[in-house]
Parts: sequence; C-alpha cells; structure tokens
Amino acid sequence: MKGTLTQSMAWLHTWCGLLLGWVLFAIFLTGTLAVFDKEISWWMQPELIDRAQPASEAANLAHRWLTTHHPDESNWNVSLPSERSAALGVSVGERRRGGEGVTHLDPLTGDTLEPRETMGGNFFFRFHFSLNLPNMLGIWVVGLAAMAMLVALISGIVIHKKIFKEFFTFRPAKGQRSWLDAHNASAVLLLPFHLMITYTGLVIFFLIYMPAAVDALFEGDRQAYFSEAQPTLAAMRAGERTRPTEAPAAPLVPLGDLVARAEARFGPGMIGGLAVANPGRANAEVTVRPVLGHRIELTKGEAMVFNGVTGELIREPEASRTSQLIQQVMAGLHFAQFGGYPMRWLYFLCGLISSAMIATGLVLYTVKQRRQGTNHAFLKLVESLNVSVIAGLALACIALLWANRLLPTGLEGRLGWELRLFFGVWALTWAHGWVRKPMQAWREQLYAAAALALGLPALDVLTGSATDTVRLSLLACVVAMGLGLGWTAWKIPAVVAARKARAARTAPIDKTPQGVSS
Amino acid sequence: MNKHVGSKRPRQHWLVMNRILLAILGGYAFTYAFTAALARVLPMARVDALVAASLLSFVIYLSFILWAFAAASLRRVALVAATAIPLAALGFWPQLLEAVR
Repeated sequence: MKGTLTQSMAWLHTWCGLLLGWVLFAIFLTGTLAVFDKEISWWMQPELIDRAQPASEAANLAHRWLTTHHPDESNWNVSLPSERSAALGVSVGERRRGGEGVTHLDPLTGDTLEPRETMGGNFFFRFHFSLNLPNMLGIWVVGLAAMAMLVALISGIVIHKKIFKEFFTFRPAKGQRSWLDAHNASAVLLLPFHLMITYTGLVIFFLIYMPAAVDALFEGDRQAYFSEAQPTLAAMRAGERTRPTEAPAAPLVPLGDLVARAEARFGPGMIGGLAVANPGRANAEVTVRPVLGHRIELTKGEAMVFNGVTGELIREPEASRTSQLIQQVMAGLHFAQFGGYPMRWLYFLCGLISSAMIATGLVLYTVKQRRQGTNHAFLKLVESLNVSVIAGLALACIALLWANRLLPTGLEGRLGWELRLFFGVWALTWAHGWVRKPMQAWREQLYAAAALALGLPALDVLTGSATDTVRLSLLACVVAMGLGLGWTAWKIPAVVAARKARAARTAPIDKTPQGVSS
Repeated sequence: MNKHVGSKRPRQHWLVMNRILLAILGGYAFTYAFTAALARVLPMARVDALVAASLLSFVIYLSFILWAFAAASLRRVALVAATAIPLAALGFWPQLLEAVR
C-alpha cells in the first residue's frame, strides 16, 4: 500500500505489533507461567504435604475414606497426587474435580486437610486464554491477538531480508540498534517456536474461531460432529448419562488395583484421577483417567472404564482417526504436558524469550519515535502502557504470590481478594507509569518487582510454610527472575547516560534540534 | 517507515481505515466461505474434511491479511473478498437448495 512490499510490511509490522503487542505480552507471559501452573498451585497451598505416595496407595486410602464417610452416594470422584500435585482430593455427587465440595486428604494418614482458598497457578492458565474477560469475549480477543502475532511474524520476516546474517549481529549499548538487534535475535532464534506456539494456540479453539466447516457440514451442531469423529468417547459419555442407579449391594473392587492396571497402560505416575459410579452396588463402574501429558496427543475425557465389582475392563480408549490425531497433537504441542520436566523447562525458557521479543519490540517503537519526535501525547500513552504492561505485569504476578501468603487464610471470598489485589496492583502500575517520567517509572517498577521476588523466600520462611523440592524450585526460579529484573533496572541509568552522550555527539549535525532524551 | 499515517490528508486516513476493515472483516468473510467450500469439496469422510479445512483456515486468513496490505489496488482486494459469495454458495449448497424449495 505504501510503495514497496517492504514498506507496506514494515507499516503493518509496526502497527500490528504495537496495538496488539500489549495484549500479546500479557498472553505470552501468563502462558509461560502457566507452564508450571500446578507447581504454582502447589506452592500456593502450603497446607498440602507431599507424601510421595504411589497413586495406587493413595487410591486405596481414598477408597477407605469414602466408604466410611459416603457409603450411600451414587458418585465418587478422586483426584490423585502426582509428581506435579501433592493433593489427594475426594468429592461426591455429580461431577467433578476442582473447586467446591472437594475434601483434601493427607495421602499417607488420611487426615482431612484444609488448604487455603487460592486462585493458584490456574489463574495464569485461565488468564492466558480468556484475559479474565467474560469467557467468549476473552477467547475472541486472544484469537485476534494470535492472528496479529502471525501477521507480525510473517511481515517481520519479509522486512528482514538479511535475517540470518543479522542474527549473528549484536551491538550492545548502542541505543536503538541494540534494541533492534535484541528484537531480531530473539525473533529469529526461536522463529519456529513463535510460529508453532501461536498457530497451535489457534488450533485449540479452531471450531470456535472458524465454525465455517461445522456450519456447512453439520448445520453448526458441534456435538454431532464430536460424536461422529470420536465415537468411543461419545459412547462413554452417553453411558454415563443413562446409567441406572438401582442395583443390589456388591463390594467394590479395590481402587488401587484398577489404578495399577491403568498405570500399566498409560505409564507409571500417569493417572490423574478416577470416578466411581454406584459404589457398593452390583452395577458399579470405575472410570480411570490419565493425566493429560502421558503423550503428546491431547485427548480430554479419555479414560479406561472398569466393572466396579469384577474389575473387568469395559471400555478403553481407541486410537484416534488421523484427522483427530493431527488436531490433538497440535493442541498437545501447545499445552506442553508431555515429556516431563525437561520439556516444561524448555517451553518455559522459549516462552520467556517470546515475551522478551514482544517487549523489546514495544520498547523499540518508543525509542524510534522519540528520536523522530512524534506526537507527544500518543508517545506518552505508549510509554506508560509499555511500563505497566511489561514491568507492571511482572510486579502484579509477584504481588499475587505475596497476596497468597499475606491474606488471612480464613478470609471470606479469599479468591476474589487475590484477584482484586492482582488487578489493583496492575492498575496502579499504569497510573504510576503515567505520572512518572518513563525511565523512572521503568526503574521503580522493575526494582519493586525485583524486591518482591527476592523477598519471597523470606516471606515463605516467616509464614512458616513447608518446604519440598517443588516449592524450593519455585522459589529458586522466582529469585532468579528477581535478579534478572533487578539487573535490568540497575542497567537503566547506564542506558540513559549512553543516550545522552550520543545525543550530545550528534546534536551539532542534527538539523532538527528536537529533544532527543526523555 | 512512515510516522503520521495520513495525519495531513483525511483521504489517506480513510483509505487506510478501509484497508484495515477489508483485511480483517473481508478477510474473515472470505476465509469463512473458503473453509466451508473446501470442507464441502474435499474427497474425504466429512469429519476429516472438516478438520482439514478448518485447520487450514488460519493460514488462508493470514495470507489474505498480508496480501490485503501488500496489494497495490484496494479494488482488487475488495474483488477477491467478494468471491466469498460464490464460495459460500458452494459450501452451503444443500442448505441453499433447502431454502429455495
């Protein structure tokens, strides 16, 4: 549109990247944190104790507890502790896991525990795809942002013809050039990851974002499509709905045995939980669910179903048809549940680099515009948003961890207070970014975030929380990020000084004597 | 890179707005119709055709948006977006037939 292809793509890259960059940064940063959602939840519920109990033992314990306390219920649900979660949760009645009505048990002694109510790491996961907006609205905004990310990536490739040569170029402490080099390096280094994670993110909700084919072939009936595409799963769900409740009494097969048999199929430590229908009756059925990450393919609702009296296997998951497999593998690549901790750390690091790429792009815009002396009010708006979205969000995330420890455990509606604190801190950072000069705002917020991050272990000790490998790893990771944030804040004066020196050097030559420094 | 997008020329502003709307909305309409048509004509079981066409849709949309900004003539972009109508007719022909009856 503006002369050459490169020019039009540069225009597109700038505006697309700027206007959706803020949302994208928030999505990428929370998504990166959500890689460790369960570990964060674990840390956020210090009342839960890791007993390293094998899943089958925990299942037997839940079995005993439920038999004693709820022999007459028609449905039992158990979520088992795993490598990533210390919680043994039991609940009764109509489905399902999480939230209300779950009783937490000590997996070793069977004592009931009262973990604090918390948003947990689940907050980052939910925010990542819904931005905590009313659900569908958030999903659409995130979808739009993902398309913008793809547009920015491809237009970015087009404008960097010498992309691979530039990859080996890094000119530190050179103002705009350094920001550009950092932006380019992080973009090129992980280009396949950026493309993969964005595209697979869209693929998870593909039928919401693009319902055309369902509309054309199935009259828009998504359920009809699912039952045709995944008949086994559909049959299982239908079976659950039509199960009769009346039957003579009969003893329930030991749940631990069924867990062991399911582990033989899905792999040791890969069982997420089980559901028992009509326990203690002749028509009892036990559904054993694997965790999501027992392989790359992401199949929600997949499970083995056993006869609850004889232990006979009634139904087991079948291999998906190829088209389903492709979609589910793509979704699985995004969810990053497979491959254990090494894979999680890899995704985490890649996510951090993606976030850094977006952040350097946003900063690059202001650095460039400031040199060109653009419209002041708009630049101020961009600067303040940059500070509060990048540094402010980091601050708010760490503040959420603090809130988790500092809010009284018995507080009414504690969950809501954690949320209010998170968004309150975030809103304040924007106000702060608006009233302070940009460089000061950056420094102060980064220092504040660093201080909170570095102080987290002390807070943990003061509030007397249990320590185990998962919680210690989380603290170590937060401290490392705190050091990174502090280092960045500490470097800012040097950056400003370098810029002033450059401005002084170039000022006599510059024909337009506009204010170059902030 | 240009700094003030048509700040001095309202007409320029208007053209840019048009292009953005055409790229986003026109592009979505085109992609929607294209996906429906592709799912209809792909020679596979209908669940497979559905998945194949839907997964491809994001690439189609992306290509359309990029091209809409790169294309010299806005009218050509509008013309291609308008092929959404025949494509939709292809994708939804059984429904159309039903409606006509």
